[in-house]
Amino acid sequence: MTIYASRPKNIADRVVARFEAANPQYKGKVKMLTMGAQEVLERVRAEAGRPQADIWWGGTSQQFEQGVAAGLLAPMPSAAARRVPLAYHGRNDLWLGEMRMAQVIFYNRDMLTPEQAPKDWDDLVTPAFRDKVLIRDVAASGTMRSAFSAMVDRSFARTGSPEQGYEWLRALDANTKEYVPNPSDLYLRVQRREAPVSVWNLQDILVQQKKGAPFTPVIPASGAPILIDGVGKVKGGPNGAAADAFVDFLFQEPIQQELAETSFQIPTLRLSREPAWLTAIGLKEMPVDWATVNQREHEWITYWSEHIKGHRR
Amino acid sequence: MSTQTLEPAPESTSSSARRRLSARATSSDRFIYFLAAPVLFVLLLFVVVPMGQTMLASVDGGAADNYASFLDGASGEALLLSVGTSLASVLSCGLVGTVLAILLARFDFPGRRVLEVVAVLPMALPPLIGAVSFVLLYSETGIVPRALAEWFGLSPADTAVTGVAGVLLVHTFTMYPFFYLSVSAGLAGLDPSLEAAAANLGAGRARVWRTVILPMLTPALVSGALLTFMISMASFTAPQLYNVPTLTMQIVSTRTSGNEGLAAAQATVLSLVSIVFLVSMRWYQGRRVHRSLSKGSQLDRTVTRGPARIAALVGSALLTVVLMAPILVIVLVSLSVDASWTTQVLPERYTFDNFTGIFTDPGSLLPISVSVQMSLLATGVAIVIGAIAAWVVARWKRLGGTVLDIMVMLPWALPGTVIGVNLITAFNEPQPGNLGLTLVGTLWILPAAYFVRYVPLIFRSTGAALDQISPSLEEAARNLGAGPVRVLRTVTFPLVARGVLAGALLAFIDGVGEYVASVVIYPAGLAPMSVEIYNRIYSSQFGSAAAYGTLQIVLILVVLIVSNRLKAGRRDSSGAALTAAPAS
Repeated sequence: MTIYASRPKNIADRVVARFEAANPQYKGKVKMLTMGAQEVLERVRAEAGRPQADIWWGGTSQQFEQGVAAGLLAPMPSAAARRVPLAYHGRNDLWLGEMRMAQVIFYNRDMLTPEQAPKDWDDLVTPAFRDKVLIRDVAASGTMRSAFSAMVDRSFARTGSPEQGYEWLRALDANTKEYVPNPSDLYLRVQRREAPVSVWNLQDILVQQKKGAPFTPVIPASGAPILIDGVGKVKGGPNGAAADAFVDFLFQEPIQQELAETSFQIPTLRLSREPAWLTAIGLKEMPVDWATVNQREHEWITYWSEHIKGHRR
Repeated sequence: MSTQTLEPAPESTSSSARRRLSARATSSDRFIYFLAAPVLFVLLLFVVVPMGQTMLASVDGGAADNYASFLDGASGEALLLSVGTSLASVLSCGLVGTVLAILLARFDFPGRRVLEVVAVLPMALPPLIGAVSFVLLYSETGIVPRALAEWFGLSPADTAVTGVAGVLLVHTFTMYPFFYLSVSAGLAGLDPSLEAAAANLGAGRARVWRTVILPMLTPALVSGALLTFMISMASFTAPQLYNVPTLTMQIVSTRTSGNEGLAAAQATVLSLVSIVFLVSMRWYQGRRVHRSLSKGSQLDRTVTRGPARIAALVGSALLTVVLMAPILVIVLVSLSVDASWTTQVLPERYTFDNFTGIFTDPGSLLPISVSVQMSLLATGVAIVIGAIAAWVVARWKRLGGTVLDIMVMLPWALPGTVIGVNLITAFNEPQPGNLGLTLVGTLWILPAAYFVRYVPLIFRSTGAALDQISPSLEEAARNLGAGPVRVLRTVTFPLVARGVLAGALLAFIDGVGEYVASVVIYPAGLAPMSVEIYNRIYSSQFGSAAAYGTLQIVLILVVLIVSNRLKAGRRDSSGAALTAAPAS
C-alpha cells in the first residue's frame, strides 16, 4: 500500500508503525511518500491514468475539493465515515476531515514580552508592529490561503463586500517585513530574530516549541479560524482493501487520542477525554463561513497577490 | 604543425567551396539523416510529445482566456521580470565565468590549482539546502551582515541582500560555471600560433584579444549565454527564496489555485520566449563564424611575478573563500545543534550526531545510491544522444538543424515541475504517443527525467566545441578515403572530447542534486537524495538535511577531482589532441 502524505514525517511514520503492529498482514508493505499537500494533489492528478497511491493523507478542504472535482477520489469506508461528525465530511464522503487546524498568532518570546505581544488579529495591523511580522508566502500555501480568506470573510459576512477585508490585508502587508517561501524557513527566520511575530497553525507551533524553539502561541481574542485537514482514498489505487483498513484504523479513537496527546493534533472525532494542553490553551473558534470561503478564495487571493502584496511603500 | 588559418565569416566560404560541398552533399546528407533518425525518435518520444500535450492543455477551456492574462498585466509583468533577471544573470555570470576561465587558463599564480577545483564547486550546491545557506550567509540575520554589524557597526538591514539582488546573487553563484566551463573548453581549443601570428604582425595585446581570441570564443560565449538565460528563465528556488514574482512562481501559484489551463499557457509562453532567445543566438552566431583549421594546444601560462604575485595570491584566496562560503555554511549547519544557532555570528554548539544518524540507519544511504545510479545512467544516454545531436545540428545547415536544436533545448527552458508533470502525463498508461511505454511507478522514470533535463548541457558544450572546428578537417579525412564513421571516430570525436566531457560532468552533477522534477515522479520507497533532504527540511531537521548535503558535496568533489586527474593523466601519457586541455 502506498500513502502520499503531507504530514510531518515523524508523526506519519509513527501512525504507520502502529497500523502495522495492529494489522500484521501489512507489516513492511506500507510505503510512504512525504511531500507538500499541493504536490500530492499534482501527483495524484498526473497519475490518474495509472494510480500509484492508495491514500492521500493531509491537505485542506480546498485541495481535496479540487481532487473531487477532478474525479480523483473514491468514497471512504462507511464505518470510518460514521465516526466522523457530519460537519467534517467532504462532498459525497469522498474525503473525511481528520483534524482541525487552528490558525493563530505566534511570537518569539526572546524578543517580546507577553505584554508587548499582539492579543488579537487587529493588533497585527497597528503601527506598533510595523516590520515586525513575517508571513509564509500566501499564494503557494493552502493553509495561508484559507487563513487570509477567513480574514476577508469577516468583512464579507458583515458588509457583503470584501473591501474592508482587503483594507485589513493592506495594513498587514504594510507591517509585513518579508514573505518567506516555506514553513521551515519561517521557523528559522523567527528563531534567528529577523522579526518577532507571525501567523501559523497551532499544531506546528507547539511541535516546534517542544523541540526547543522560543515560540509562544497566542489565541486571538476574537477567535482562531479553524480549517479542516483531511484524508482521502485515491480512486483506482492498487490496494483498495489495505487502504480501507488504514482509514478505518486512523479514524479510531485510540490513535486519535494518542496523536492529540503527543502531537498536538485537534481531532475531528469526539474524544472522551480532551488532552490537557488543549484545555489549558483555551482555544476559541472564530466563526467563518467556509462555504463562502471555498467559493471565493480564488478571487480574493488573486486580488491580494495582484493588488495588495508588496504595494505597501 | 599543420597550417593554421582563421576562417572568416561564412559569406567568404567561397561559392566554389560551397559548390564542391553540395556536389558531395548526397552521401554526407544521407549519413546525417542516418544519425539524425534515432535522435529525432528519442526526442519526439521524451520531449516533443509530452510538451505538445502541455500546449494542448493550454488551449483547454478557452485559449483566449488563458493567453489574455499576458496582456492584462498579471502574467505579463511576471514575464518581463523573468526576462530582465535572466538577461542580468547572463551578464553577471558571463563576466565572472569568462574572467575566471581566462585567469586560470592563461596565468600561473599561487593558488591556481586549488581554484581550478573550487571554480566548479558551486555546481555541487544542493538546490534546497543551498538556498538555506544563502539565507544563512546574506540575509538580515545572516553571517555576513551580522559580522559587518559586529566589526563596523553597519545596520544588518542595510547590508542584507534581498529581492531581485538576491536572485541575481544566487544565479551568479550557481550558474557562472556554464560560462566558465565552456570558455575553458574554448580556450583549450584555440591554437596559440594564431595569437603569435597576430602579434608578429604587430597587433597589441588588446587587439589580439579583440580580433583573434574573443571572436574564436564566440561559440563558447553563446553556449554559456544560452544555458544561463534559459535556466534562469526556468529557475524557481531563487525567486521563491527572495520572493520575486517571476513567471515560474506564477506557474506554481496558478497550479496551486487549480487553474491548469492557465498554468499550461504560462509554461508555453515561458518556453516560447526561451526558443526565441535560442533562435536569435543561433542567428547571431551564424553571422560570426570563426574557426580554426588546426587542433588546439596548450599555450604556456603567463607567470605572475613580484607584487602581482602577492596580489594574485591574495585575490585567489579571497575568491576561493567567497566561492566556498555557501558550501562551508552547509558543513557548518551539519555540525551544529538544531535550533541552537540564533543570534550569534557563528554557531556555538557543535555535534557529530547528524552524521552518525545517517551512517547508523541502514535505510538512509539508499537515497544516495539511487541518485548516483540514476544520474549515471541518464548521463550515459545523454552523452550518446546529446553528442550525436550536436554533430547533426552543426553539419545540417538547413531548417532541420534549427528544429533539432529547439527540440533538444526545449526542456532546459521549462521548470522542472512542468517536465515532471509532462512525463507523468505522457507515460502513465499505454497509448500510441508513448508506444505503449509506461514509466510511472517504475524507477526508469527518474533517469528519463534527468536525461530530458540535462541532455541540453552535453548537446550545447559539444556543439560549442564542434563550432570551433572547420568541417574541412572532416572533409580532408574523407578525401583521404576514410568512411564517415572513421572520420567521426578519428577526427571529430577526439577534437570535441573535452566539450563532451565538460557537459557530461555538469549533467551528472546536476542529476545527483535534481529536486524539482524528482519530487513529482520518484517511485515509492526510492527517494533520491534531494527529496530526502527536502523531507528532512520539511520536518525542520536542518542539521541532518545539511549532513546529507555535505555528503552530496563530498561525492561531487570526488567526481571533480577524479575527472581532473583523468584528464591530466591522459595528457601526460599521450600528449594527443584528445586533451589539449588547460585544466589539470
